[in-house]
Amino acid sequence: MSERNPMPCGHGRLDRYEIRLQGQLDESWSDWFEGFTLANESDGTTTLTGPVTDQAALHGLLRRVGNLGVTLISVNVLRSRQP
Amino acid sequence: MAMPVLATKLFIPRLRPGAVPRPRLVERLREGLQSGRKLTLISAPAGFGKTTLLSEWIADAQRRDPGVRVGWLSLDESDNDPSRFLTYLVGALQRADPGIGSEALPLPLPSFEPALTALINDVARSPQEIILVLDDFQLIEEETIRDALVFLLDHLPSNLHLAIASRSDPLLPVARLRAGGELTELRAADLRFTPDEAAAFLNRMVDLELSADDVAALEARTEGWIAGLQLAALSMRERSDVSGFIQGFTGSNRFVIDYLAEEVLQRQPDHVREFLLRTAILDRLSGPLCDAVTGQKGSSEVLESLERGNLFVVSLDDRRHWYRYHHLFADVLRARLLRDRPDRVAHLHSLASEWHERNNLPEDAVTHALAAGDFGRAARVIEGAIPAIRKSRQDATLLRWLTLLPKDVIDRRPVLGVYRAWSSLASGDVEAVEPRLRVAEKALAATTDDGTPAHDSAAGDELRMLPVTIAVYRAAVAQARGDVAGTREQAQRALDLTEPDDHLGRGAAAGFFGLAAWATGDLKAGVRAFGEARTSLRLAGNLADVLGTTLVLADMLVPLGRLREAQRSFEQALQLAAEQGEPPPQSTADLHVGISELLREQGELPTAVEHLAASEALGEHASSHENRHRWFVAMARIRQAEGDFDAALGLLSTAERLYLRGFFPEVRPIAAMKARIWIAQGRLAEALAWVNDQGLSAADDLTYLREFGHITLARLLIAQHWSDLQKGSIHEALGLLNRLLEAAEAGHRVGSANEILVLQALAHAAQGHTPLALQSLERVLVRAEPEGYVRLFTDEGAPMAVLLQAAAARGIAPNYVGRLSRTFVHGEGATIQPIPEALSERELHVLRLLATELSGPQIARELYVSLNTLRTHTRHIFGKLEVNSRPAAVLRAEALGLIQHLV
Repeated sequence: MSERNPMPCGHGRLDRYEIRLQGQLDESWSDWFEGFTLANESDGTTTLTGPVTDQAALHGLLRRVGNLGVTLISVNVLRSRQP
Repeated sequence: MAMPVLATKLFIPRLRPGAVPRPRLVERLREGLQSGRKLTLISAPAGFGKTTLLSEWIADAQRRDPGVRVGWLSLDESDNDPSRFLTYLVGALQRADPGIGSEALPLPLPSFEPALTALINDVARSPQEIILVLDDFQLIEEETIRDALVFLLDHLPSNLHLAIASRSDPLLPVARLRAGGELTELRAADLRFTPDEAAAFLNRMVDLELSADDVAALEARTEGWIAGLQLAALSMRERSDVSGFIQGFTGSNRFVIDYLAEEVLQRQPDHVREFLLRTAILDRLSGPLCDAVTGQKGSSEVLESLERGNLFVVSLDDRRHWYRYHHLFADVLRARLLRDRPDRVAHLHSLASEWHERNNLPEDAVTHALAAGDFGRAARVIEGAIPAIRKSRQDATLLRWLTLLPKDVIDRRPVLGVYRAWSSLASGDVEAVEPRLRVAEKALAATTDDGTPAHDSAAGDELRMLPVTIAVYRAAVAQARGDVAGTREQAQRALDLTEPDDHLGRGAAAGFFGLAAWATGDLKAGVRAFGEARTSLRLAGNLADVLGTTLVLADMLVPLGRLREAQRSFEQALQLAAEQGEPPPQSTADLHVGISELLREQGELPTAVEHLAASEALGEHASSHENRHRWFVAMARIRQAEGDFDAALGLLSTAERLYLRGFFPEVRPIAAMKARIWIAQGRLAEALAWVNDQGLSAADDLTYLREFGHITLARLLIAQHWSDLQKGSIHEALGLLNRLLEAAEAGHRVGSANEILVLQALAHAAQGHTPLALQSLERVLVRAEPEGYVRLFTDEGAPMAVLLQAAAARGIAPNYVGRLSRTFVHGEGATIQPIPEALSERELHVLRLLATELSGPQIARELYVSLNTLRTHTRHIFGKLEVNSRPAAVLRAEALGLIQHLV
C-alpha cells in the first residue's frame, strides 16, 4: 500500500470500498453488486471490493446487501490502494 | 394517456391458506391496537414475513370487530413523488371509508399541511375504526413525505391507527413514540420462526415428517429466517434424499439465499426457469405482460402455477391478474439474469416498455425505457404523457424523469425543453428558466436542408402551442420578478401568438396581462383582461378557473367602487356552480366568501354570516388553497363590525397563517388589517411598530401595491393626533390623504377614493373644520349611495355618527344619511338626545379648548392645571356627552350647540 499515489486506472476521485459479509457468495454476483470484486475468505466471510461514485451509491449498495438477508460485518474505505 | 391509480397497490394481501399461524405476534399487535397506541412498526429485513403477519393481524382484527376498516398501501419507489403518494394515501383511506377525501384534492401542494389537515378531519369525522397500513416503507426517502407522516402522527385522530412495515427503521420519531408508550414494535428477533413454528412450517410445506434434528439443523442454519426456510422447503419437496440435502445445506458456508435459490431454480423445468429469469425485470407481472417480455404464450398459467407452488409469487388482486415476485426472490432472479444473460437485459426492458406504452401505463413505460438505456424512447413517452402528468400534477415524477434524461436528448425536443424550463420555474429557480427557454426556442426553429423541422418532438397540440407556452412562462418569470412591463409584454406576445380556438392559451395570456395591470393599479385594464380570460376559460371548459377568475375580478371591482357589478358576477358564478350539481366545483366556497364581504360592506351582516356558514358547510375541498385565508378575513371583518376586536384579531392571525403567496398581488395585507384594528383599539404603539417595520411614511412615493398600507398609516396619524394631540400628525395625515386621493382618482379607483374621502372628512373634523369635513363627506356620500355602501361609514364609529348628524342637519343626501344613521349600533349616537347631565362652566371651558388644535399639555397649561386634572375633566365631559373620543366630543358639543364652531 502506498499513500503517495492517487488511484490507478483513471478512477479519479472515486473511493474504493471494502465490504465484508458473513457467509460466502460466488463471483457470479459481481454484476448484481455493481461490478464489485467478490472474494471468499478463509474465515467463511466474503469481501466485496470496488469503486463507489458517492455516498448515495454506497448506501444503495448496502441496501442490496441488506435485501439479501446477509449479515454485514464491516465497511472500510480504501482511499489510495495500489494493486 | 392517463396516469391511473393502480388498484394493485391498494390491495390487501390475502392470508395464504396453510400459513403458519403466529398467535404470539398477533396478540402483541392486537394489544397495541386495543390500547390505542398510534403506531405499529414492523421493522425487519426481507423475508421475515412482515406482510404475512400484517395480513393475519388484520384478518384477526376484522374477525373480532367487523366494524374495523383497513386501508392498505403497498409502496414503491415512484411514491417518492409527494403528489402521487398523497393520491394513493387518499385512495387507501377511501377503501376504508369512501367518504374520506371524496372530492379532488387541490394540487399541486405548496405544502402538505392543508391537504393533510383536510384528510385528517375527514378521517376524524368517519364513524369507522380505521387501520392504515403502509407496506415497504423503506422505499420512501422523500423528506416531504416523512414530514407529512410526522404531521399525521402528531395529529392522528383517535379512530385511526397507523401500521408501517419496513426493511429498515423509518426516519420517524420512533424513539419519542416508544418512550411515550405509543408504539407497538416487532423486529427481526420477534419475527424469526421459533423451533416449533419452523417445524410446523416445514412439515406443512414439505408434506413429510422431518425429524426434530433435521428441523433444528435447518432452523439453526437459517436462524429462523422464514424466506430461508421456505426456500429450503421448496428444495426438499419431492426429493428422495432429504437428509442429504439438509447435510449439504447446513454444512455449507454459502449465503442461505444463494445456496437455496440455486437449489430451487435448478429444480424448475427449463421453460419455468427461463420465464423466471426473463420476467425478473418486472415490478408487477401479468399474463399478457409476461407474454410480451418472454415472447411466449401461456404466461398466465405459468404465473398461476408459480403461485400454487409457493414460488415467491404474491398475488396483487383477487382476479389472478396481477402478481409480483417476493422482493428477495426478485433480487436473486435479477442477479442471476445479470450473470447468465447480461446482453439480454436491455432488450427485455425495451419489450416491457413497449407493452406498458401500448397499455397506457406511461410511468412503467418510461421506467423500463430508461432501464434499457433507450433515452429516445423514454423521451418520446414522457412527451406524450406530459398533458396527463401535468393534469394530475405529478410534478416530482416529471422532474425526476427530466433529470434522468441526457441533456442532448432534451435539447433535441423543444416540448421537453420547455417543460424543463417550467420545472425550474416550479422549483423557484427563476434564473434558470430563460436560458432553457432559449435552447427550446432554438430547437423549435431549427430546420434541416429540406425545410422540415430538425427537432425530435412529435407534431401535435403541445408542439403547435409551444410558442404561446414559452411566452406565458416568460410572463410568469417577469411576474415573479415584479417586472410589470415585462409581464405585460410577454402576455401580449402570447396573446398575439394564440390561435382563435386556443382558449386555454388565450386565457393564460389574458390572465398575465390582467395581473400586470392589477399590480400597477390600472384596475380598469385588469378587469378588462380578466373578463377576457374568464370568457376564454369558459370556452375551454375550465369551470374551476372560471370561478377562480370571478374572485380576481371582484378583487379589482371593489377598489373601483363597482360593488353592484362585483355582486352580480358572484351571483352568476354561484349559479354556474350550482348547475354543475354535486360535488360542487372547486372555488364554490370561495365565491360565498366573496359575496359575504360585499354583503358586509352593504350592512347585511346576518346574510353575510349565512354565506360564510354556507362556505364552511361546503368544506375545504370546495375552496382553493390560495383563497383559504379569505374566509377568516371575511369573518374577522364581521366581528370587527360587531365591535368584537379581539375575536377579529384572532381570526386575522389564523388568516395570516393560511395565507399563501400566489400569483396575485398582495393589495390588502392581513397585517395591515390587524394594524387597523389596533388603531381602533387605541393600541397605537403596536400599529406604529408595524408602520415602521413596513418602512411606510407619509412622504413615500405612492403605488397601488402600497395603497392599503398608506391608508392605514393615515388612520394611524389621525389617531395619534387624538391620543396625545401630537402636533403635526394631523397635517401629515391630511397631506398624505390628499396625495392618496389624487392617485386613486387618476387610477379611477372610486372605491379607494371613497375610503380616503371618509378619512379626509374625519381628519378635517378632528381639526374642528366641520365645513371642510362635510365637503369631503358629501363627495363620498354622492358616490357611495348608488353602490349601497354602509360599513364604509359605520365602521368609523362615533366620530362619523356625529359628522353624519351634522350632514343631516345641513340636508346633505338626507335619505342615505338617515339610512346610515339608523344602522349605527346602539350607543354610537345615531340620534342626538339631549344630554342627561349638564356640563359645568369649567367643563364647557375645557370643551372649547378641546375644539382647538392645542395639545393636551398645552390645554393644561392654559388652564393652569396638571395633565391629570385635565384628564379628569375630559373623562367627565366624555361621560356626560356619551362619547369616547375627542373629535366625537367636539362634534357632539357642536351639534348640541354647546360650542360655536370656529373655522
